Amino acid sequence: MRKAKHKSVETRHMEERRELYESLKNIDRRSFLKVSAVALGTAMASGLAWPHSFQPASVLSPSTSSQGAESFRFAYISDSHLYKKDLNDRFVRALLRSVDDVNSMDPQPDFVFYGGDLAQLGQVEELELGAQILKDLKAPLKIMVGEHDWYLDMGEKWQELFGEPIQSWDHKGFHFVILNSVIEKDFWTERGMKPMERMMTVAGLDNGMQSSFTVGSEQREWLKNDLSKYSNDTPLIVFSHSPLYKLYKFWNFWTDDAEEVQAILKRFKSVVVIHGHTHQLLTNRIGNIHFHGLLSTAWPWPYAPEGMPELTIEMSRPDPFNPNDGCGNGEVITHTDGLIDKVYSLWNRNPITISSTYTSSWGKRDRPPMPNRPSY
Amino acid sequence: MNFLTLFKNQKGLFILCLLLVGAVVLLAPKANNDQTSDIPKGAHGEATMEYQLQELDKLMPKVDVSETPPGFDPVIWDAFIPEDNKMTPERVALGRKLYFDTRLSKDNSVSCATCHDVTRGFTDQRDVSEGIGGQLGRRNAPTVLNAVLLQTLFLDGRSPSLDHQAKMPITNPIEMGFPDGESAVEAIKDDVEYQKAFQEAYGRDINYEDIGRAIGAFERTLVFLDSPFLRFLSGDKDAISTEEKAGWVLFNGKARCVSCHHLSPSNPLGTDNRFHNIGVAARQPDFEKLAREGLKTLAEDPTEEQLEELALNTDLSELGRFMVTKMRSDVGTFRTSILLNIGITPPYMHDGSLTTLWDVIDHYNAGGEANPFLDGGIEPLALTEAEINQLVAFMFSMTDDRFTEENNRQKKEQKALAEKSRPERDEDMAFRRKLAFEDRAKGIKKQQ
Amino acid sequence: MKINKTTVLLIIMLIGAIWVFWSCEQEAEEPDSATTGQEIADSHMAQWKRKNPERAKDWVAEEKERHKIMPPADNTDILKGQQADGHTYGRYTELDILTWARETEKFVVEGSRIFHSADLLGGTVGVSCDMCHPDAANTHPETYPKFQAQMGRVALLRDMINWCIENPVRGARLDADSPQMRALEAYIWAQRKGKTLNYGKH
Repeated sequence: MRKAKHKSVETRHMEERRELYESLKNIDRRSFLKVSAVALGTAMASGLAWPHSFQPASVLSPSTSSQGAESFRFAYISDSHLYKKDLNDRFVRALLRSVDDVNSMDPQPDFVFYGGDLAQLGQVEELELGAQILKDLKAPLKIMVGEHDWYLDMGEKWQELFGEPIQSWDHKGFHFVILNSVIEKDFWTERGMKPMERMMTVAGLDNGMQSSFTVGSEQREWLKNDLSKYSNDTPLIVFSHSPLYKLYKFWNFWTDDAEEVQAILKRFKSVVVIHGHTHQLLTNRIGNIHFHGLLSTAWPWPYAPEGMPELTIEMSRPDPFNPNDGCGNGEVITHTDGLIDKVYSLWNRNPITISSTYTSSWGKRDRPPMPNRPSY
Repeated sequence: MNFLTLFKNQKGLFILCLLLVGAVVLLAPKANNDQTSDIPKGAHGEATMEYQLQELDKLMPKVDVSETPPGFDPVIWDAFIPEDNKMTPERVALGRKLYFDTRLSKDNSVSCATCHDVTRGFTDQRDVSEGIGGQLGRRNAPTVLNAVLLQTLFLDGRSPSLDHQAKMPITNPIEMGFPDGESAVEAIKDDVEYQKAFQEAYGRDINYEDIGRAIGAFERTLVFLDSPFLRFLSGDKDAISTEEKAGWVLFNGKARCVSCHHLSPSNPLGTDNRFHNIGVAARQPDFEKLAREGLKTLAEDPTEEQLEELALNTDLSELGRFMVTKMRSDVGTFRTSILLNIGITPPYMHDGSLTTLWDVIDHYNAGGEANPFLDGGIEPLALTEAEINQLVAFMFSMTDDRFTEENNRQKKEQKALAEKSRPERDEDMAFRRKLAFEDRAKGIKKQQ
Repeated sequence: MKINKTTVLLIIMLIGAIWVFWSCEQEAEEPDSATTGQEIADSHMAQWKRKNPERAKDWVAEEKERHKIMPPADNTDILKGQQADGHTYGRYTELDILTWARETEKFVVEGSRIFHSADLLGGTVGVSCDMCHPDAANTHPETYPKFQAQMGRVALLRDMINWCIENPVRGARLDADSPQMRALEAYIWAQRKGKTLNYGKH
């Protein structure tokens, strides 16, 4: 029979903090990082779902936090692929569930980010249904466009409902950018495709008739200009539907001008890219850029047969007998050093957190749990 | 007054008729023959131990307990017998004696058979169980029938084996009430017959672990798989009716039951042995507040007994498996129920909140109860009334032949109750006119 | 001349007569039956193509443009070896090899068409197989037969296909011998070319 350690959360918290401060005395920076990472790792390993209240990273090196960057939370919902309710209620129900999940968050996040592909075939009733459901979110909404929203009418209805597809703003010391990274070279005119045919082509993930996603030279110019006002120290978060790197061309897990975009972002101390489209747990790091994928509420994609980033620890293969398995929503917790913890709140599974120390240590620390059902 | 005059007089005739009717009503047996009124009852509503033993003898043929039960896969059977408790007639006999022994409770009124009553489907057919001093628990008693084939015991799976589970109620303060195992041993230590029986069974003095083992050994003989449904699966096309066959088709198809209620020759129970949140716990008021509280409270490290107490005696009981694993994915989950003999083990669900099988199907038909931890496999089913009746008929066909009388009684009783009221029925949800999370997303609270 | 009704009528009749005479002149030629037959057939074909634009295209090439199809095995080795000439049933030609490849490929391409279309699958919720299985990823046919607890029996690939059609796709199950089921199986097996058989793998 096990003996219990009757410690309350507060006691543990205080002990952790005391331990850390003890070890802060007279140690060099490298050992300091080791100590704080261990404390973080223990908390993570206990399987607790919420980030512990004490974030060693925020005390870590106050001098490196620039321009008053704060630690805060925002939630995300993505890739709902709505049909109209009479045709497919399952996808609608899933989005409603996500909205309920986010509305139940306590405290409420600073804002909710929608990662694109709200509609499945870009139709008016699909977009309007999505807009109506998202209106029930308590926190303010920031929304990005996906290819499924765009290619029926080239974004007309989407822009009518949601405004500019390309935006930037500042929040608590972070600079945020939303790109429209699903621009495809015209493949439909020469084939004489009607709008719905074009949409159906783009809607097929494995449909080879479409072109690769790009950001495009126009947007790259805009991005360069927009960022020109910010110093290299600025914590930067870029939202993009396509991954902004090259994973698997055949499924458009790909941005053709990724190198050019990455070049624009190269000068910053660290950049976080949060992307949709991939419907799975996905983590990558290229130089100073930390890439994180978003979950879908509608269905999970399998992992690409090649090109997988090393840092990605895949989620366990979803079980088809549970229609919600592998789906969900989640949240992002920012840190003062500009990096983030990405929380994947998978339905009927424990949430998985990809912490900032995982990506900043190139996967050596804070490894997320391994899958028990590897993908095929 | 002349007798004949009485007839001639209208008023007199009327009075005579009244008297006759009154006599008939008082003297004739009740129309719906409630046979349970004939059964002698014990302290907590169960049949007396003597009566139960009688009934048990009628039910159980003499078999060689060391053999695999007839028709069952021997490889799978072996996997369920623990190494340190192989089946012998002495162990089974000892376990049987202990199962019905009220001395194992603090006030000598409760035995295993109190809540797992032979005459009541080896459960107590109450929504929650009653222990010493008339205290009520918070969970429905699962049936012991075929419990040998389960992978974990208790509705939240906190016990890994029958031998272990048998000991737990003995030390639970609201069930049998002993402070610890030693007190239970004390209570029976001086019985010479027991001393002999323990020596013959285990070659040791009476001890608490062996009490659990012996009861476990006895429970392993309670294999009741001979239902009309199983005969149908084995090839007897006429074993079940057309309606029941239609129910079986629905079970595997439109109603999606088989996703969690696995049925196969190696696992005839109708459970996947996993834990799912189907929303029954979410009907408790403040379930989500509880869930958040639970997520915080269990950052501590409770002992087995503390867990037992929290699980059974506090509101946190509604959190189910989460109390055992502390995993967020287990909030509000309970083990998938056994379907075998389901007809005779009402009421249903972990808290007995669904009275009839019609209520159960209504619950699933509506897509359960929306809550943040709802299992994704629970969806509105769009079942019509006829289909619901077929499913219920199918479920009643899964009762062992030896309980046919009780099964028929339940069929009649549940049907009568269902015809009067169907509190879980919600056609808007079932036919997807309204979606489960619609109101919640808008912040509209459900009317309790 | 007075322009009255009679005059107009006469003029019309005259024009009509000239036209008829002229048409007859045209038809006085004896046509070459082969050429005319070809023209007639061509014009019928053109009409049909106009009426049925979908089926008029080279559907195989078009589907292959849309979706990656793994090619069938290369059988050219069968043309080597010395016993072929003396073997009645072993005298294969290049045309044989081409026929096998082409027919196999067409069947697999048909499977791809059904796989990628919610309508052809008979689904009622707008879901097609490729929404969870792009390029038939994660279909793992090499792991069947295996016991599927949620089906209560040992499943073959066709059982899993039917389960998917009934559940996520919400359509009516296909008979095992139906052309659609056979084509779907063909496509799925084709996409997993080269994988090792490993039945029972969960």
